[in-house]
Amino acid sequence: MSAYSPHQPPNPNRRAIDAVDAPPGGGSPPFLPALVGGVAGVIVLLATTLTVRATVSGAADRLTHPQTPAASTPESKVAVADQSEEKYCTPGFKTVLQRVLNACGLVGGESRRGCQPADVKTFASINDEDFNALFTPLKDRGAVIMFDDGSDALDPGAKKLLEERWLDRKGARYFFIVARASRTGSADFNRTLSHKRANSVHFFLQEQFKDPDLEKQVGMLWLGNEFAQLTKEYCDWPASRSSAKCNADALNRSAFVSWVDCRL
Amino acid sequence: MRNARFLAGLALAASLLGLLFAAYSTYDYAQHLDRQIHTIHCSFIPGASGDTTAENPCKVALFSSYSAIFRASYWGGVPISLFAVGAFSFFLGFSVYLLMSNLRAPKRAYLFFGIAGVTPLMASLIMFFISLTRLHAFCKVCVGIYFSSALLAASAVMALLHYRRIAHVHLPPDPHGPTQVDSAAGNPLLLVGWLAALGLAAILPALVYVAALPDYRPYLSSCGKLEVPQEQHNALLKLPTAHPVKAVTFFEDPLCPTCRAFHERLIDEGVLENLDVTLVMFPLDSECNWMLDRSLHPGACMLSKAVLCGGNQARAILEWSYSEQDSLRELGKGNPAAIEKKIRERFGSDVMQCAQDKKTAARLNQHLHYASNNHIPVSTPQMFLGDKRICDEDTDLGLKYTLSQLSPEVLR
Repeated sequence: MSAYSPHQPPNPNRRAIDAVDAPPGGGSPPFLPALVGGVAGVIVLLATTLTVRATVSGAADRLTHPQTPAASTPESKVAVADQSEEKYCTPGFKTVLQRVLNACGLVGGESRRGCQPADVKTFASINDEDFNALFTPLKDRGAVIMFDDGSDALDPGAKKLLEERWLDRKGARYFFIVARASRTGSADFNRTLSHKRANSVHFFLQEQFKDPDLEKQVGMLWLGNEFAQLTKEYCDWPASRSSAKCNADALNRSAFVSWVDCRL
Repeated sequence: MRNARFLAGLALAASLLGLLFAAYSTYDYAQHLDRQIHTIHCSFIPGASGDTTAENPCKVALFSSYSAIFRASYWGGVPISLFAVGAFSFFLGFSVYLLMSNLRAPKRAYLFFGIAGVTPLMASLIMFFISLTRLHAFCKVCVGIYFSSALLAASAVMALLHYRRIAHVHLPPDPHGPTQVDSAAGNPLLLVGWLAALGLAAILPALVYVAALPDYRPYLSSCGKLEVPQEQHNALLKLPTAHPVKAVTFFEDPLCPTCRAFHERLIDEGVLENLDVTLVMFPLDSECNWMLDRSLHPGACMLSKAVLCGGNQARAILEWSYSEQDSLRELGKGNPAAIEKKIRERFGSDVMQCAQDKKTAARLNQHLHYASNNHIPVSTPQMFLGDKRICDEDTDLGLKYTLSQLSPEVLR
């Protein structure tokens, strides 16, 4: 430690130090700078500390009494994941869909699978044209699986298209199979045949994909030749036999399939 | 004397600047204690510019595991910037003292300031190194603190040089001093007193902060649960970890910056290896995700499918997606096919072939349906501890505290 003493010999550096560093005049009392510095530090420290406390307390208040009008506007709300809902899900479509689900074994755990013409006529409460019109917007999602006359066997083209359509589920919740039969033969025969065609599609999907949710996803209707026959305008739809001659008879030897993007 | 005054003035300016930056950083941190989203200051001008985007480097720094300590004990932990607030306050007062004393300060004051004034720079260097090597982002407010610390350190070095000059010099007696020894060199106890004052100043804001924190425990379990925990198709992915002790489910998007930060946080906190992770891919890319009307992260669907096809490499592919995220996001915006090329180059054509298969697309779709069956928010990441949903704010600032409360075994 080096300290000033009047009895020590003069320091050769002292003149220079004094000339450069010594404060002019007597200066303020030595405790004043310490006092001012200390008070300044304490004031700043207290001010910042109190600000910290106020900020934390403010956050705590907002936590217990959330008041964020901006957060409650629809734009700022985070969407919740859900199945898709497309424009074709009109109230009329949803009514039919709901009735299919209730009446044809998709909800409620009934053992019965599917609906036949009499059921469809009852729950749809609409005529053939209006019933088909409900499904018209499904053109991009749907496909027509075609069968040989009197047959319920799926050909390779049918299987390929079914597989493609099934894998292209996106956000849909339900898969519809609407089977028909052309007007050749009796109504009873065609009702049974269309039922078998619906089952062929259903069993193929079951076998191919072994999806545990299949029973809750697939809605089956078989319309025989009695209800909602397809007209030639459906020749434009994706079909399993694009090269075959398209007419009303061929079109109705079919099962219409589609995922349905509606929420209920 | 000019040197001494200059160093004191520089120290005062550095302290004031450091205090401002540290105060803004602390303010931003404390604002988030209400568990809501806030803008974050991110500018070299103290107090300017707010930004809520995930890419904001100040947000990256704030939500990183390095921004606070004692995270397991307090929700959000105690932000490091609080210690800077206290320390800069002390140095501000001390530099006023040096400035006013005009060389009448004891020599030991310069010695003390010369040593203590470097400590903020040492802390800043550590944080700078972390920003460089771990966060890969430089928060402007943090850089402001680094710069202030460097200025303070420069003045501290000047103080040390000044001390060396005057250490063996006998200064004129102070007519007002109690003793000549005290006025020239200073009582050795002053060093202890200043050190204690610095320590007290550094921890006082932190103590007050901790004392003012509310009780967060009631909020931790308030964000719902998985309604349908089982995925019937066995489509979900198990992410391999070293010592899985607690089942968790993550909903993640390979191109989501918040997911990357979350993943890094889990690693940095030493938590990930203790989790039994079920991964649900939830890309925010309308190419496969029907819940979106536009792609937030184009290319995320393809990367998600690559992760699903990864087999033993699934975790490696996910972590690669995170580490290369910036470039992959750019590729995704301009040319998504380039992402496929990258995947093929890095993980081979088998992975890419599988990722392009329709069945993989269907499997990814099962993931999305799992999300919709459980009605989770369309945002990533989402974390479920068992079947309990961890609130978004508890996956970032409150992660370690939440885990210490709900599943302490994963922190051991």
